[in-house]
Amino acid sequence: MWKTVVRRFLVMIPQLFVLSLLIFIMAKFMPGDPFTGLITPETDPARIEELRQKAGFYDPWYIQYINWMGNAFQGDFGRSYTFNQPVANLIGTRALNTFWLSLLSVVLLYLLAIPLGVLAGRYQDTLLDKSIVFYSFIVYAIPTFVLGLISLFFFGYELGWFPTSGTVDINAEAGTFGYVWSKFYHLLLPAMVFAVLGTTGVIQYLRTEIIDSKTMDYVRTARAKGIPNNKVYSRHIFRNSLLPIAAFLGFTITNLLGGSIFIETIFGYQGMGQLFVQAINGRDYSVITTLVMLFGFLTLLGSLLSDIIMSIVDPRIRID
Amino acid sequence: MAEKQTVDVEKKTPAASPPTGIQVIAREFAKDKLAMTSLLFLIVLITVIYVWSFLIDQEQLMRISLRDQMAAPGEKYWLGADKGGRDILGQLIIGARNSITIAISVTLITGIIGIAIGLITGYFGGWIDNIFMRIIDFFITIPSLMIIIVFISIVPKYTVVTFVLIMSVFLWVGTARLVRSKALSESRRDYINASKTMGTSDGVIIFKEMMPNLSSILIVEMTLNFAGNVGLETGLSYLGFGLPPSTPSLGTLVAYANDPFILENAWWNWLPASLLILLLMLAINYVGQAIRRSADARQRLG
Amino acid sequence: MNKKLLALLALLMAFMLFLAACNNEESATPDDGENGSETEPGTGGEEGEEGEEPASEELFPTVLENEGDAIEGGTLQAALVNDSPFQGIFSYVLYEDAYDAEIMAFASNIIFDTDGDFLLTNDGIASLEVDGEAKTATITINGDYKWSDGEPLKAEDIIQPYLIIGHPDYSGVRYDADFQNIVGAVEYHDGKADTISGIEKVDDKTVKITFNKVSPAIYSGGDGLWTSAEPSHILKDIPVAELLESDAVRVNPVTLGAFKFDKIVPGESVSLVRNENYWKGQAKLDGVVIETVPSASAAKAMETGEYDIALSFPTSAYENVKDLENVTLLGRQELYYSYLGFKLGKYNYDTSLVETDVEGSKMGDAELRKAMGYALDIEQVSEVFYFGLRERANSLIPPVFASFHDPSLEGYSYDPDMANQILDDAGYEDTDGDGLREDPNGEKLQIMLAAMAGDETQEQVINYYLQNWKEVGLDVQLATGRLIEFNTFYDKVQADDPEIDIFMGAWGTGTNPSPSGLYSKTAVYNFSRYSSDELEGLLQAIDSEEALDAEFRAKKFREWQEYMAEVSAVIPMQFRYELMPVNDRVKNWDYGYDTEFDYIDVELTADAPVK
Repeated sequence: MWKTVVRRFLVMIPQLFVLSLLIFIMAKFMPGDPFTGLITPETDPARIEELRQKAGFYDPWYIQYINWMGNAFQGDFGRSYTFNQPVANLIGTRALNTFWLSLLSVVLLYLLAIPLGVLAGRYQDTLLDKSIVFYSFIVYAIPTFVLGLISLFFFGYELGWFPTSGTVDINAEAGTFGYVWSKFYHLLLPAMVFAVLGTTGVIQYLRTEIIDSKTMDYVRTARAKGIPNNKVYSRHIFRNSLLPIAAFLGFTITNLLGGSIFIETIFGYQGMGQLFVQAINGRDYSVITTLVMLFGFLTLLGSLLSDIIMSIVDPRIRID
Repeated sequence: MAEKQTVDVEKKTPAASPPTGIQVIAREFAKDKLAMTSLLFLIVLITVIYVWSFLIDQEQLMRISLRDQMAAPGEKYWLGADKGGRDILGQLIIGARNSITIAISVTLITGIIGIAIGLITGYFGGWIDNIFMRIIDFFITIPSLMIIIVFISIVPKYTVVTFVLIMSVFLWVGTARLVRSKALSESRRDYINASKTMGTSDGVIIFKEMMPNLSSILIVEMTLNFAGNVGLETGLSYLGFGLPPSTPSLGTLVAYANDPFILENAWWNWLPASLLILLLMLAINYVGQAIRRSADARQRLG
Repeated sequence: MNKKLLALLALLMAFMLFLAACNNEESATPDDGENGSETEPGTGGEEGEEGEEPASEELFPTVLENEGDAIEGGTLQAALVNDSPFQGIFSYVLYEDAYDAEIMAFASNIIFDTDGDFLLTNDGIASLEVDGEAKTATITINGDYKWSDGEPLKAEDIIQPYLIIGHPDYSGVRYDADFQNIVGAVEYHDGKADTISGIEKVDDKTVKITFNKVSPAIYSGGDGLWTSAEPSHILKDIPVAELLESDAVRVNPVTLGAFKFDKIVPGESVSLVRNENYWKGQAKLDGVVIETVPSASAAKAMETGEYDIALSFPTSAYENVKDLENVTLLGRQELYYSYLGFKLGKYNYDTSLVETDVEGSKMGDAELRKAMGYALDIEQVSEVFYFGLRERANSLIPPVFASFHDPSLEGYSYDPDMANQILDDAGYEDTDGDGLREDPNGEKLQIMLAAMAGDETQEQVINYYLQNWKEVGLDVQLATGRLIEFNTFYDKVQADDPEIDIFMGAWGTGTNPSPSGLYSKTAVYNFSRYSSDELEGLLQAIDSEEALDAEFRAKKFREWQEYMAEVSAVIPMQFRYELMPVNDRVKNWDYGYDTEFDYIDVELTADAPVK
């Protein structure tokens, strides 16, 4: 397996290279540039032209690309024009925010969805099952924006149970327990909304797989051997039903790491989703390219991770 | 208790002359009232929507009438009016038609491609799997938002058809990955090996023998995809790259809720569309489950 | 497990109840009394609405009257309404983001006071003396003032901003034609000189600046004059290239204002405390905390008493705050106008000149342009879509500039009869009976409109305008078939895309009302590409040395506005208001432009915002 892992990492290099080229060309194809947004009656068009020259926007795209790549290899991902910061700094803080939010969301998601999915599958066609299925479709039909806003208004503003905006309280001293708590506290509500909205897929796949497994030969054999029902479920059925979830686990994580523009906008939470959309709207080329490369790498990693997890869940699958 | 039922049911299923596919499905629906109701509901709803939408003068519908701004549901407008004083009910019908068309097309296109590629890669495994999977990985890494921005600026006049095609390019990969994961596991099972040794052709094994055994997961996947695709353009509309303004859709109606004022004070602007999506999803789900049962003899009710 | 499910169901029920509770409020339908007659084409025009000068004072108060007894100190909770993080560049020479400016206002480094027309006065930290003959300006610090870190304010601090902006490593937009008006600025920028030769330190409190030309714009902070100071004792040791990243800008900026920076969470929140060294005295508040709040929840935040004031509050949320009992709405007119532009030529980027070609343009007929102006029902749009927070603009100068704005200008009003009449007279008739007019030669007339994408409201408004034009028989279509995203819009409009005949844009004018940057024959931003000798003469007169005489300048401003109205290459559409909701525990807040208000006078009457 280790050989495979190494090989997959090697394949990533050409994949990422082609990706960077494609993204760079596309970024340049988008109309406008970072300075378009600076137009006011008081800005001097000549100065804007000068800045465009300086930034190298009039060079052929491949020159710009080579320059960017060359710097990137030295760890310099360029400057963000819309944020006036080195890209590395800009992404750094947000990536961390998004990482924690994703982690908590994934944990909450599986804590909520796996039991529900298992119960629905095991007690198929009972009232419990029907309620769970109904619930899963309701959350699928609720737009993120609606659930997010309602939770914020109700639990944040009306009841005052949660902070309403930002990632940390201004008065928390960095390095203290209070600071860590404040960060966690700010994460809680957005993570819960995230988790609730994400449950549908997991519940549905798990439920279906369990229903299918129930009639499989190996389960019958187990039952015939007189193994207690609970054990049949926890040992045999559950494990075999995890395959579709495993297939997506890597992606779930990378998807979450991409952030969600809706959640971040509603909760005033600085993360990657908003940053990406802002970078695209502001034609912030270096940020766009860096982010796509980062997401790309994470996605490839997620894909590898999924394959590995799959082979653990179902040993018949070998990745080679 | 539930298990007991299924076990009982199995015993009743005689293995005598196997009924044809359609007969099985029909029998399954006859036994399951919920599925039957859902099926009828879907047929009626879709027919009504398509017929009704033909009777609506779209230009007249999309006319701004400031006097009726945010009119509450009443005699003039059964479901009230939006900010521009446009009838919500009419927009709901036309929007449902557009969204259902989009959802069906995208689900079918991505479903066919995704299932075919997933089955093939999963069945063969090895280097075929490796190559296809790396291509799929690559597709996942490309940000669709950027492609759409670039595409819109190059081909400004984009319609429902181009929208469907662009979205399909990105959406088949998820299905392919899921199907492949199950197919990988399935293709190592005894019955497949047995078939292989008997010299059955790969195509027959894949589509005639393996696919039915994956039907549960395929149907769940298609159900969720369809439901997801109904609101496909919602996110894009929010960012300003949705369908052209004169094309109402369920997504745009739901997106009215993005304005907190409308969310709180004018539920008739967004709730009907959300409910319609929910009903569609539930109905499709129940129908899907009945079909799934008929595909697996051991789970049949009838 | 069942408990969990129950909890979930309870949660959903709670949502539903909450929604239901929200719905009990009155519905938002505007009452028919206001709307009745005017939607009917042909009846709206007679009322001479434009004759009355709209005054912001009538619509909203700008001053918060509050009689309650103030508490000792206290912290003002301010919401900065913004859907993305603020940049956090707290320096007047470097910032680009308007939100940073909102925050900096509490700890301002501005050295000049301004009057109602935003013209510099001598009542602030420094005074200005302009010598038109010698083309010099002398800036004098009016007293012994100190920075928030206790260092005295000196001439070097006045010079510091010039040294930063002019520096070769400076990468912002402020090194512009205006700045190059300072003698020696170009040489310094090109690295040929170590300092700017036109800037001279006379003594510890006096700086003299020599310009290539001096115009009245200097009193609006134009011509290259800089109106804020920078702490040279800190900044002079930091290389300009590294300034943007330095702690002196992002973490602990030193200021001259009523408050000083205490803590900053980048992009999210800022806490400021009283500046003991403030030149006007001690602030009554202990401090101010400013937090970013997303626009979707801004109104809710004010309603639940989470904040005392909201900065850059979105007017689209007006309906949600207008009836709140714990909040008073302050409002004022913005330095903004939106307009309808007609493409009447092209910009030649080689010669940097506008090439007007009225005859050769599709929109060359002034009668057609005027008819299009009368056909637009902007009054209704302002009323219904913007809750009266916008109004029909009569000129290209916002009324805030009281001395320059021409209230007597009639402008346009919704009058489809007049539009029809004008079109009939000018020979635009429907010859093929499709309900749409052909041009005087009998050719089909299809006009392509470029409009910027925005929110849902924007989309409906533009649709309504297209409808208005269709009602008078004009076939106006959206260029590219949809509203155009911001970047693409300016790309296309600036490049004179042949697909665009007319376009709808808007300008935030800033405090310098001089129109030459937008309408002169060299201006790239003269998007309608209209220019004439008469126009050029007026623009030059406005910024001429003679216009240092205020009356002369005001007269020329009026003549220019009248000329623009007559030519109708650009038709002003709307002026708009901006709002500031203030909680009822705040005392002495003043949102007006022309005011003696200072942050030190603000007080609170309770320990927490009123709910």
